[in-house]
Amino acid sequence: MKSTFLTTWIFLMLFTLVTAFMANSGFEYAALAILGLALLKCIGVAFYFMELKKANPFWKVSLLSFLIIFFTIILLV
Amino acid sequence: METPTIDPKSIYYPPGGILMWIIIFLELVTFGIALIFMVVSAREEPEMFHDSRMLLNSTYGAINTVFLLTSGFFMARTVQLFKEGNILRASVFLRLTMLGGLLFLALKGFEYNDKLEAGLGLSYNTFFTYYWMLTLFHMVHVIVGLIILWTVQRSISKVPVNLKLEDMEASAAFWHMCDLIWLLLFPILYLIF
Repeated sequence: MKSTFLTTWIFLMLFTLVTAFMANSGFEYAALAILGLALLKCIGVAFYFMELKKANPFWKVSLLSFLIIFFTIILLV
Repeated sequence: METPTIDPKSIYYPPGGILMWIIIFLELVTFGIALIFMVVSAREEPEMFHDSRMLLNSTYGAINTVFLLTSGFFMARTVQLFKEGNILRASVFLRLTMLGGLLFLALKGFEYNDKLEAGLGLSYNTFFTYYWMLTLFHMVHVIVGLIILWTVQRSISKVPVNLKLEDMEASAAFWHMCDLIWLLLFPILYLIF
């Protein structure tokens, strides 16, 4: 479990670094990449740090649905 | 009397408890709706939103993300150590968790001071109205989270330890909720416009 938390934290740091790089890169699809990475970071925090991975599927599906709907709306608006 | 055991697979017992998860969903939906309104407003004045976004220091935002996520890592380890009965180390990790939160608040305070000195207050324009409302509301959550963690710290410092696992998990869930909200705010406020 200790290594799972550490691995999650390393990925979260890596995604944050890539996000900061993307924001200043002028890359055409930067907004899509930034929001995609934010979605992955939310999943990392919820499923591993909050241990939602061990919870009933109802909670996993609810959170994933919220995140996907939210980020899709932000992209489409 | 037999002590009831908690089955995390039960729909009624997500980690942190069902009431805490109802609060988490309500908070995420509230912040989510506000952010969607912000993006809708940005469609009407894209240049103003872009120019205003450029007035924010995204490095501060990224460093604050690191502070909160690292604090979240320490919180997850605190819960794990508490479950293992290693109270002494759990207490150390809980203090590190709170340190992450305090560093977040310190940097946010520094950033707010910069903005106020530059005259970029709540009524400067639509972007900054959203910026102040959303980040201040989030900061209130971080302060409440720190108070909760401080009470947890006091409870686990006592001998015998005066804290149930459910209470520790609920406190941790609240703290992680602050991370989740920030992960929604950071890219939209600081990066995408």
